[in-house]
Amino acid sequence: MNEAELIDRARQGDGTAWETLMRAHQEAAYRLAYLLLGDAAQAEDVAQEAFVRAYLALERFDPARPFRPWLLSIAANLARNQLRAFGRYLAAIRRLVQDESRPVESVEGRAAQSWEAQTLWQAVRQLDFADQQVIYYRYFLDLPVEETAQALDIAEGTVKSRLHRAMNRLRAVIKRHYPALQEGREV
Amino acid sequence: MTERPSHDLESRLTTAGRAFPYPSTPDIARAVTHRLEALPARRPARSSVRRLTWVLVIVITLLSGLLAVPPVRAQILEFLQIGVIRIFLTQPTPTLTIPAISTPGSEVIPSPGISMTSPTPANTTTTEIIPSPTPRPSPTPIASLLDLTGETSLAKAQRVANFPIRLPAYPPDLGQPDHVFLQDMQGQVLVLVWLDPADPLRIRLSLHQYVGKNNITGIKYSPPVVQETSVNGQPAVWAEGPYLLKLTNGDYQLVRLIGGHVLIWAQADITYRLETDLPLAEAVRIAESLQPPPAPAP
Repeated sequence: MNEAELIDRARQGDGTAWETLMRAHQEAAYRLAYLLLGDAAQAEDVAQEAFVRAYLALERFDPARPFRPWLLSIAANLARNQLRAFGRYLAAIRRLVQDESRPVESVEGRAAQSWEAQTLWQAVRQLDFADQQVIYYRYFLDLPVEETAQALDIAEGTVKSRLHRAMNRLRAVIKRHYPALQEGREV
Repeated sequence: MTERPSHDLESRLTTAGRAFPYPSTPDIARAVTHRLEALPARRPARSSVRRLTWVLVIVITLLSGLLAVPPVRAQILEFLQIGVIRIFLTQPTPTLTIPAISTPGSEVIPSPGISMTSPTPANTTTTEIIPSPTPRPSPTPIASLLDLTGETSLAKAQRVANFPIRLPAYPPDLGQPDHVFLQDMQGQVLVLVWLDPADPLRIRLSLHQYVGKNNITGIKYSPPVVQETSVNGQPAVWAEGPYLLKLTNGDYQLVRLIGGHVLIWAQADITYRLETDLPLAEAVRIAESLQPPPAPAP
Protein backbone atom coordinates (compact mmCIF):
# COMPACT_ATOMS: atom_id res chain seq x y z
CA MET A 1 0.00 0.00 0.00
CA ASN A 2 1.48 3.34 -0.97
CA GLU A 3 1.54 6.46 1.17
CA ALA A 4 -1.49 8.12 -0.43
CA GLU A 5 -3.54 4.99 0.23
CA LEU A 6 -2.37 4.90 3.84
CA ILE A 7 -3.36 8.52 4.29
CA ASP A 8 -6.74 7.89 2.73
CA ARG A 9 -7.35 4.96 5.06
CA ALA A 10 -6.17 6.92 8.08
CA ARG A 11 -8.64 9.64 7.17
CA GLN A 12 -11.38 7.06 7.33
CA GLY A 13 -10.30 6.18 10.86
CA ASP A 14 -8.04 3.21 10.07
CA GLY A 15 -5.68 3.20 13.06
CA THR A 16 -3.40 0.58 11.54
CA ALA A 17 -2.79 2.71 8.46
CA TRP A 18 -2.00 5.71 10.62
CA GLU A 19 0.41 3.70 12.75
CA THR A 20 2.18 2.46 9.62
CA LEU A 21 2.63 6.06 8.50
CA MET A 22 3.92 7.08 11.90
CA ARG A 23 6.46 4.25 12.01
CA ALA A 24 7.73 5.23 8.56
CA HIS A 25 8.36 8.83 9.61
CA GLN A 26 8.86 8.88 13.36
CA GLU A 27 12.64 8.74 13.11
CA ALA A 28 12.83 11.78 10.81
CA ALA A 29 10.45 13.79 13.01
CA TYR A 30 12.31 12.86 16.18
CA ARG A 31 15.74 13.53 14.73
CA LEU A 32 14.74 16.93 13.35
CA ALA A 33 13.26 17.89 16.74
CA TYR A 34 16.40 16.70 18.48
CA LEU A 35 18.67 18.69 16.16
CA LEU A 36 16.59 21.83 16.68
CA LEU A 37 16.11 21.48 20.44
CA GLY A 38 19.15 19.53 21.56
CA ASP A 39 17.14 17.71 24.20
CA ALA A 40 15.90 14.15 23.85
CA ALA A 41 12.85 14.52 26.11
CA GLN A 42 11.71 17.72 24.43
CA ALA A 43 12.32 16.17 21.02
CA GLU A 44 10.09 13.23 21.91
CA ASP A 45 7.33 15.59 23.09
CA VAL A 46 7.54 17.63 19.92
CA ALA A 47 7.56 14.59 17.65
CA GLN A 48 4.51 13.17 19.43
CA GLU A 49 2.67 16.45 19.23
CA ALA A 50 3.53 16.80 15.54
CA PHE A 51 1.88 13.45 14.80
CA VAL A 52 -1.19 14.30 16.88
CA ARG A 53 -1.61 17.60 15.07
CA ALA A 54 -1.02 16.01 11.70
CA TYR A 55 -3.68 13.42 12.47
CA LEU A 56 -6.20 16.05 13.53
CA ALA A 57 -5.49 18.06 10.36
CA LEU A 58 -5.34 15.06 8.04
CA GLU A 59 -8.55 15.96 6.22
CA ARG A 60 -6.93 19.20 5.05
CA PHE A 61 -3.78 17.48 3.77
CA ASP A 62 -3.42 16.90 0.05
CA PRO A 63 -2.54 13.19 -0.28
CA ALA A 64 -0.98 13.87 -3.67
CA ARG A 65 1.89 15.56 -1.84
CA PRO A 66 4.54 13.70 0.15
CA PHE A 67 3.72 13.35 3.82
CA ARG A 68 7.22 13.76 5.25
CA PRO A 69 7.81 17.47 4.42
CA TRP A 70 4.41 18.37 5.86
CA LEU A 71 5.08 16.44 9.05
CA LEU A 72 8.55 17.95 9.40
CA SER A 73 7.21 21.47 8.94
CA ILE A 74 4.74 20.85 11.80
CA ALA A 75 7.55 19.48 13.98
CA ALA A 76 9.79 22.45 13.15
CA ASN A 77 7.06 24.94 14.05
CA LEU A 78 6.45 23.19 17.34
CA ALA A 79 10.18 23.18 18.08
CA ARG A 80 10.40 26.87 17.30
CA ASN A 81 7.52 27.54 19.70
CA GLN A 82 9.36 25.57 22.35
CA LEU A 83 12.45 27.67 21.83
CA ARG A 84 10.43 30.85 22.00
CA ALA A 85 9.12 30.02 25.43
CA PHE A 86 11.25 32.13 27.72
CA GLY A 87 12.29 29.51 30.22
CA ARG A 88 13.15 27.01 27.55
CA TYR A 89 15.07 29.66 25.71
CA LEU A 90 17.21 30.34 28.76
CA ALA A 91 17.73 26.62 29.23
CA ALA A 92 18.85 26.32 25.63
CA ILE A 93 21.30 29.20 26.09
CA ARG A 94 22.69 27.52 29.19
CA ARG A 95 23.14 24.27 27.31
CA LEU A 96 24.81 26.11 24.49
CA VAL A 97 27.24 27.79 26.86
CA GLN A 98 27.96 24.48 28.53
CA ASP A 99 28.49 22.86 25.17
CA GLU A 100 30.79 25.65 24.03
CA SER A 101 32.82 25.52 27.19
CA ARG A 102 33.31 21.81 26.72
CA PRO A 103 36.75 21.29 25.20
CA VAL A 104 36.05 19.98 21.77
CA GLU A 105 39.51 18.44 21.57
CA SER A 106 38.78 15.94 24.37
CA VAL A 107 37.66 13.24 22.04
CA GLU A 108 39.83 10.36 23.01
CA GLY A 109 37.95 7.14 22.71
CA ARG A 110 35.34 8.75 20.51
CA ALA A 111 35.14 8.08 16.83
CA ALA A 112 36.52 10.96 14.81
CA GLN A 113 33.44 11.06 12.64
CA SER A 114 31.19 11.30 15.66
CA TRP A 115 33.31 14.08 17.09
CA GLU A 116 33.20 16.01 13.84
CA ALA A 117 29.44 15.45 13.53
CA GLN A 118 28.80 16.75 17.03
CA THR A 119 31.10 19.71 16.63
CA LEU A 120 29.60 20.66 13.29
CA TRP A 121 26.18 20.44 14.92
CA GLN A 122 27.33 22.82 17.65
CA ALA A 123 28.47 25.22 14.97
CA VAL A 124 25.16 24.96 13.08
CA ARG A 125 23.30 25.67 16.31
CA GLN A 126 24.92 29.11 16.42
CA LEU A 127 22.96 30.05 13.31
CA ASP A 128 19.44 31.40 13.33
CA PHE A 129 16.49 29.03 13.15
CA ALA A 130 15.89 29.37 9.41
CA ASP A 131 19.52 28.65 8.57
CA GLN A 132 19.53 25.65 10.86
CA GLN A 133 16.38 24.27 9.27
CA VAL A 134 17.65 24.33 5.70
CA ILE A 135 20.96 22.73 6.72
CA TYR A 136 19.29 20.01 8.75
CA TYR A 137 16.86 19.18 5.96
CA ARG A 138 19.46 19.02 3.23
CA TYR A 139 22.50 17.53 4.98
CA PHE A 140 21.47 15.89 8.23
CA LEU A 141 18.14 14.41 7.11
CA ASP A 142 19.21 14.15 3.48
CA LEU A 143 15.96 15.51 2.07
CA PRO A 144 15.99 16.24 -1.67
CA VAL A 145 15.63 19.87 -2.71
CA GLU A 146 12.01 19.30 -3.69
CA GLU A 147 11.00 18.03 -0.23
CA THR A 148 13.07 20.71 1.47
CA ALA A 149 11.17 23.32 -0.51
CA GLN A 150 7.87 21.77 0.55
CA ALA A 151 8.87 21.57 4.19
CA LEU A 152 9.91 25.23 4.17
CA ASP A 153 7.05 26.27 1.90
CA ILE A 154 9.39 28.05 -0.49
CA ALA A 155 10.40 27.60 -4.14
CA GLU A 156 13.13 25.11 -5.01
CA GLY A 157 15.34 27.92 -6.31
CA THR A 158 14.95 29.70 -2.99
CA VAL A 159 16.18 26.58 -1.20
CA LYS A 160 19.46 26.80 -3.07
CA SER A 161 19.98 30.50 -2.39
CA ARG A 162 18.97 30.15 1.25
CA LEU A 163 21.29 27.20 1.66
CA HIS A 164 24.12 29.13 0.02
CA ARG A 165 23.74 32.00 2.47
CA ALA A 166 23.40 29.66 5.44
CA MET A 167 26.60 27.86 4.46
CA ASN A 168 28.50 31.14 4.18
CA ARG A 169 27.37 32.07 7.68
CA LEU A 170 28.34 28.62 8.95
CA ARG A 171 31.83 29.01 7.48
CA ALA A 172 32.18 32.29 9.34
CA VAL A 173 31.07 30.68 12.61
CA ILE A 174 33.52 27.79 12.18
CA LYS A 175 36.37 30.11 11.37
CA ARG A 176 35.74 32.21 14.44
CA HIS A 177 34.59 29.74 17.08
CA TYR A 178 35.55 26.24 15.99
CA PRO A 179 39.14 26.39 14.78
CA ALA A 180 39.54 22.69 15.51
CA LEU A 181 37.22 21.98 12.62
CA GLN A 182 39.56 23.87 10.33
CA GLU A 183 42.72 22.00 11.25
CA GLY A 184 44.15 20.58 8.09
CA ARG A 185 41.01 21.51 6.21
CA GLU A 186 39.62 24.34 4.24
CA VAL A 187 36.00 24.99 4.98
CA MET B 1 47.06 23.93 5.27
CA THR B 2 45.58 21.63 2.70
CA GLU B 3 43.36 23.30 0.15
CA ARG B 4 39.96 21.69 -0.16
CA PRO B 5 37.37 22.34 -2.83
CA SER B 6 34.61 24.76 -1.85
CA HIS B 7 32.04 22.00 -1.49
CA ASP B 8 34.08 20.33 1.24
CA LEU B 9 31.89 21.65 4.02
CA GLU B 10 28.80 20.31 2.24
CA SER B 11 30.23 16.81 2.05
CA ARG B 12 31.42 16.98 5.65
CA LEU B 13 27.90 17.98 6.74
CA THR B 14 26.40 15.10 4.78
CA THR B 15 28.83 12.71 6.45
CA ALA B 16 28.07 14.32 9.81
CA GLY B 17 24.36 13.73 9.27
CA ARG B 18 24.98 10.03 8.72
CA ALA B 19 27.44 9.65 11.58
CA PHE B 20 25.57 11.83 14.03
CA PRO B 21 25.07 10.10 17.40
CA TYR B 22 21.32 10.66 17.66
CA PRO B 23 19.63 9.24 20.73
CA SER B 24 17.73 6.13 19.74
CA THR B 25 14.28 7.02 18.47
CA PRO B 26 11.62 6.21 21.08
CA ASP B 27 8.41 4.42 20.13
CA ILE B 28 6.56 7.59 19.24
CA ALA B 29 3.91 5.81 17.19
CA ARG B 30 2.78 3.82 20.18
CA ALA B 31 2.62 6.86 22.45
CA VAL B 32 0.67 8.82 19.85
CA THR B 33 -1.74 5.94 19.35
CA HIS B 34 -2.48 5.96 23.09
CA ARG B 35 -3.04 9.71 22.99
CA LEU B 36 -5.35 9.49 20.00
CA GLU B 37 -7.39 6.74 21.61
CA ALA B 38 -8.40 9.26 24.25
CA LEU B 39 -9.83 11.53 21.55
CA PRO B 40 -13.26 11.08 19.98
CA ALA B 41 -13.22 8.64 17.09
CA ARG B 42 -12.26 10.16 13.75
CA ARG B 43 -15.34 10.75 11.69
CA PRO B 44 -15.07 9.61 8.11
CA ALA B 45 -14.00 12.35 5.76
CA ARG B 46 -16.92 14.02 4.07
CA SER B 47 -16.60 14.08 0.37
CA SER B 48 -16.44 17.47 -1.23
CA VAL B 49 -19.59 16.62 -3.18
CA ARG B 50 -21.48 15.96 0.00
CA ARG B 51 -20.11 19.12 1.57
CA LEU B 52 -21.14 21.13 -1.45
CA THR B 53 -24.59 19.58 -1.29
CA TRP B 54 -25.01 20.79 2.26
CA VAL B 55 -23.95 24.26 1.29
CA LEU B 56 -26.42 24.29 -1.57
CA VAL B 57 -29.22 22.96 0.58
CA ILE B 58 -28.60 25.64 3.17
CA VAL B 59 -28.48 28.38 0.59
CA ILE B 60 -31.58 27.15 -1.21
CA THR B 61 -33.55 26.81 2.00
CA LEU B 62 -32.54 30.25 3.11
CA LEU B 63 -33.34 31.82 -0.25
CA SER B 64 -36.70 30.08 -0.45
CA GLY B 65 -37.65 31.37 2.96
CA LEU B 66 -36.60 34.90 2.18
CA LEU B 67 -38.35 34.99 -1.16
CA ALA B 68 -41.57 33.46 0.04
CA VAL B 69 -42.08 35.55 3.13
CA PRO B 70 -43.93 38.81 2.46
CA PRO B 71 -42.16 41.92 3.72
CA VAL B 72 -44.85 42.49 6.31
CA ARG B 73 -43.91 39.23 7.93
CA ALA B 74 -40.46 40.53 8.66
CA GLN B 75 -41.90 43.19 10.92
CA ILE B 76 -41.05 42.37 14.48
CA LEU B 77 -43.78 42.86 16.97
CA GLU B 78 -42.81 40.98 20.07
CA PHE B 79 -40.32 38.55 21.43
CA LEU B 80 -40.10 35.76 23.94
CA GLN B 81 -37.09 35.52 26.23
CA ILE B 82 -35.89 32.33 27.85
CA GLY B 83 -32.55 32.72 29.57
CA VAL B 84 -30.20 34.24 27.03
CA ILE B 85 -32.34 33.24 24.05
CA ARG B 86 -34.72 35.80 22.59
CA ILE B 87 -37.30 34.68 20.04
CA PHE B 88 -38.79 37.33 17.81
CA LEU B 89 -42.34 36.70 16.72
CA THR B 90 -43.82 38.08 13.57
CA GLN B 91 -47.04 39.74 12.56
CA PRO B 92 -49.75 37.35 11.44
CA THR B 93 -50.08 36.99 7.73
CA PRO B 94 -52.42 35.19 5.39
CA THR B 95 -51.70 31.60 4.54
CA LEU B 96 -48.67 31.09 2.41
CA THR B 97 -47.06 27.98 1.15
CA ILE B 98 -43.40 27.40 0.63
CA PRO B 99 -42.69 24.43 -1.59
CA ALA B 100 -40.69 21.66 -0.03
CA ILE B 101 -37.15 21.21 -1.21
CA SER B 102 -35.95 17.74 -1.89
CA THR B 103 -32.42 16.86 -1.02
CA PRO B 104 -30.15 14.07 -2.13
CA GLY B 105 -31.34 10.88 -0.54
CA SER B 106 -34.98 11.98 -0.93
CA GLU B 107 -35.01 13.67 2.43
CA VAL B 108 -37.38 16.57 2.69
CA ILE B 109 -35.99 19.72 4.18
CA PRO B 110 -38.76 21.32 6.15
CA SER B 111 -40.04 24.31 4.29
CA PRO B 112 -43.55 24.07 5.63
CA GLY B 113 -46.49 26.08 4.60
CA ILE B 114 -47.45 28.50 7.28
CA SER B 115 -50.99 29.28 8.16
CA MET B 116 -52.18 31.93 10.53
CA THR B 117 -55.88 31.93 10.01
CA SER B 118 -56.76 34.98 12.02
CA PRO B 119 -54.94 37.89 13.53
CA THR B 120 -53.29 36.56 16.63
CA PRO B 121 -52.70 38.57 19.77
CA ALA B 122 -49.05 39.39 20.06
CA ASN B 123 -48.65 37.49 23.27
CA THR B 124 -50.15 34.37 21.83
CA THR B 125 -47.23 32.41 20.66
CA THR B 126 -48.67 29.44 18.88
CA THR B 127 -48.90 29.33 15.16
CA GLU B 128 -50.02 26.36 13.21
CA ILE B 129 -48.33 24.53 10.50
CA ILE B 130 -49.73 23.06 7.32
CA PRO B 131 -47.52 20.33 6.04
CA SER B 132 -46.90 20.63 2.36
CA PRO B 133 -45.85 17.87 2.10
CA THR B 134 -45.45 16.45 5.58
CA PRO B 135 -42.18 17.94 6.67
CA ARG B 136 -39.60 15.76 8.22
CA PRO B 137 -37.52 17.68 10.70
CA SER B 138 -33.96 17.94 9.64
CA PRO B 139 -31.35 18.53 12.30
CA THR B 140 -28.76 21.17 11.71
CA PRO B 141 -26.23 19.97 9.14
CA ILE B 142 -23.35 18.18 10.74
CA ALA B 143 -20.89 20.40 8.92
CA SER B 144 -22.06 23.50 10.74
CA LEU B 145 -21.98 21.91 14.17
CA LEU B 146 -18.83 19.84 14.01
CA ASP B 147 -16.78 22.67 12.56
CA LEU B 148 -17.13 24.52 15.84
CA THR B 149 -13.99 25.51 17.65
CA GLY B 150 -13.10 24.39 21.14
CA GLU B 151 -13.53 20.65 20.70
CA THR B 152 -12.54 18.81 23.83
CA SER B 153 -13.41 15.70 25.80
CA LEU B 154 -16.21 15.39 28.30
CA ALA B 155 -13.72 14.73 31.10
CA LYS B 156 -11.73 17.84 30.26
CA ALA B 157 -14.86 19.95 29.90
CA GLN B 158 -15.93 18.82 33.36
CA ARG B 159 -12.61 20.00 34.75
CA VAL B 160 -12.62 23.33 32.95
CA ALA B 161 -16.30 24.34 32.95
CA ASN B 162 -17.31 26.70 35.70
CA PHE B 163 -20.76 25.15 35.95
CA PRO B 164 -22.05 21.63 36.57
CA ILE B 165 -22.37 19.72 33.30
CA ARG B 166 -25.48 17.58 33.06
CA LEU B 167 -26.30 14.90 30.51
CA PRO B 168 -29.62 13.39 29.45
CA ALA B 169 -30.39 10.03 31.04
CA TYR B 170 -33.11 9.53 28.42
CA PRO B 171 -33.22 7.86 25.91
CA PRO B 172 -31.46 5.07 27.79
CA ASP B 173 -29.32 4.13 24.77
CA LEU B 174 -28.00 7.66 24.31
CA GLY B 175 -24.79 7.30 26.27
CA GLN B 176 -22.12 9.96 26.32
CA PRO B 177 -21.85 12.61 23.59
CA ASP B 178 -19.76 11.88 20.51
CA HIS B 179 -18.43 15.41 20.40
CA VAL B 180 -17.94 18.01 23.12
CA PHE B 181 -17.17 21.68 22.47
CA LEU B 182 -16.43 24.20 25.18
CA GLN B 183 -16.14 27.80 24.06
CA ASP B 184 -15.53 30.96 25.99
CA MET B 185 -17.57 33.86 24.69
CA GLN B 186 -17.18 36.01 27.81
CA GLY B 187 -19.29 33.30 29.29
CA GLN B 188 -18.94 29.62 28.66
CA VAL B 189 -20.87 27.77 26.01
CA LEU B 190 -20.92 24.00 26.08
CA VAL B 191 -22.13 22.08 23.03
CA LEU B 192 -22.72 18.35 23.28
CA VAL B 193 -23.38 16.40 20.10
CA TRP B 194 -24.70 12.87 19.70
CA LEU B 195 -24.45 11.33 16.24
CA ASP B 196 -26.93 8.93 14.73
CA PRO B 197 -25.38 5.45 15.19
CA ALA B 198 -26.90 4.37 11.88
CA ASP B 199 -25.60 7.42 10.03
CA PRO B 200 -22.52 9.11 11.49
CA LEU B 201 -23.01 12.05 9.14
CA ARG B 202 -26.29 12.87 10.84
CA ILE B 203 -26.72 14.49 14.20
CA ARG B 204 -29.15 12.68 16.46
CA LEU B 205 -29.39 15.53 18.93
CA SER B 206 -27.34 18.37 20.28
CA LEU B 207 -27.54 20.09 23.63
CA HIS B 208 -26.19 23.61 24.09
CA GLN B 209 -25.62 25.01 27.56
CA TYR B 210 -25.09 28.77 27.81
CA VAL B 211 -23.85 30.12 31.10
CA GLY B 212 -24.56 33.63 32.33
CA LYS B 213 -27.36 36.06 31.78
CA ASN B 214 -26.24 38.97 29.73
CA ASN B 215 -23.01 38.28 27.92
CA ILE B 216 -24.36 36.06 25.19
CA THR B 217 -27.61 36.59 23.40
CA GLY B 218 -29.20 34.18 21.00
CA ILE B 219 -31.90 35.54 18.76
CA LYS B 220 -34.24 33.43 16.70
CA TYR B 221 -35.99 35.06 13.81
CA SER B 222 -39.48 33.98 12.94
CA PRO B 223 -39.59 30.27 13.60
CA PRO B 224 -42.57 28.87 11.71
CA VAL B 225 -43.80 27.21 14.90
CA VAL B 226 -43.32 28.59 18.39
CA GLN B 227 -45.03 27.01 21.35
CA GLU B 228 -44.78 27.72 25.04
CA THR B 229 -44.32 24.70 27.25
CA SER B 230 -42.51 23.80 30.46
CA VAL B 231 -39.55 21.75 31.66
CA ASN B 232 -39.60 20.71 35.30
CA GLY B 233 -42.33 23.30 35.87
CA GLN B 234 -40.17 26.11 34.44
CA PRO B 235 -41.18 28.11 31.36
CA ALA B 236 -39.81 26.72 28.14
CA VAL B 237 -40.22 27.37 24.44
CA TRP B 238 -40.51 24.90 21.62
CA ALA B 239 -39.57 26.14 18.15
CA GLU B 240 -39.66 24.35 14.87
CA GLY B 241 -37.36 25.26 12.00
CA PRO B 242 -36.31 26.41 9.59
CA TYR B 243 -35.34 29.77 11.01
CA LEU B 244 -32.29 31.88 11.56
CA LEU B 245 -30.43 31.80 14.85
CA LYS B 246 -28.12 34.70 15.56
CA LEU B 247 -25.71 34.49 18.47
CA THR B 248 -24.24 37.79 19.56
CA ASN B 249 -21.59 38.56 22.09
CA GLY B 250 -20.24 42.06 21.88
CA ASP B 251 -18.76 42.41 18.42
CA TYR B 252 -18.98 38.71 17.70
CA GLN B 253 -21.93 37.41 15.73
CA LEU B 254 -22.74 33.98 14.47
CA VAL B 255 -25.75 33.37 12.24
CA ARG B 256 -26.95 29.84 11.59
CA LEU B 257 -29.89 28.36 9.80
CA ILE B 258 -31.64 25.93 12.09
CA GLY B 259 -33.49 23.08 10.46
CA GLY B 260 -34.48 20.96 13.42
CA HIS B 261 -36.78 21.32 16.39
CA VAL B 262 -35.47 23.15 19.40
CA LEU B 263 -36.51 23.17 23.03
CA ILE B 264 -35.22 26.06 25.14
CA TRP B 265 -35.41 26.35 28.87
CA ALA B 266 -33.38 27.87 31.67
CA GLN B 267 -32.37 26.75 35.09
CA ALA B 268 -30.45 28.98 37.46
CA ASP B 269 -27.95 30.83 35.25
CA ILE B 270 -27.79 28.15 32.59
CA THR B 271 -29.83 28.31 29.41
CA TYR B 272 -30.36 24.96 27.73
CA ARG B 273 -31.05 24.49 24.05
CA LEU B 274 -31.87 20.99 22.86
CA GLU B 275 -31.97 20.44 19.11
CA THR B 276 -33.43 17.24 17.77
CA ASP B 277 -35.82 15.87 15.21
CA LEU B 278 -37.99 14.27 17.89
CA PRO B 279 -41.46 15.59 18.76
CA LEU B 280 -42.07 18.00 21.62
CA ALA B 281 -43.10 15.39 24.21
CA GLU B 282 -39.92 13.41 23.64
CA ALA B 283 -37.78 16.54 23.79
CA VAL B 284 -39.33 17.53 27.13
CA ARG B 285 -38.68 14.03 28.43
CA ILE B 286 -35.04 14.32 27.44
CA ALA B 287 -34.80 17.78 29.02
CA GLU B 288 -36.27 16.57 32.28
CA SER B 289 -33.86 13.66 32.41
CA LEU B 290 -30.73 15.82 32.71
CA GLN B 291 -28.48 14.73 35.50
CA PRO B 292 -24.78 14.82 36.36
CA PRO B 293 -22.80 12.27 34.35
CA PRO B 294 -21.81 9.12 36.18
CA ALA B 295 -18.47 9.37 37.94
CA PRO B 296 -15.62 7.91 35.88
CA ALA B 297 -14.54 4.42 36.80
CA PRO B 298 -11.57 4.46 39.21
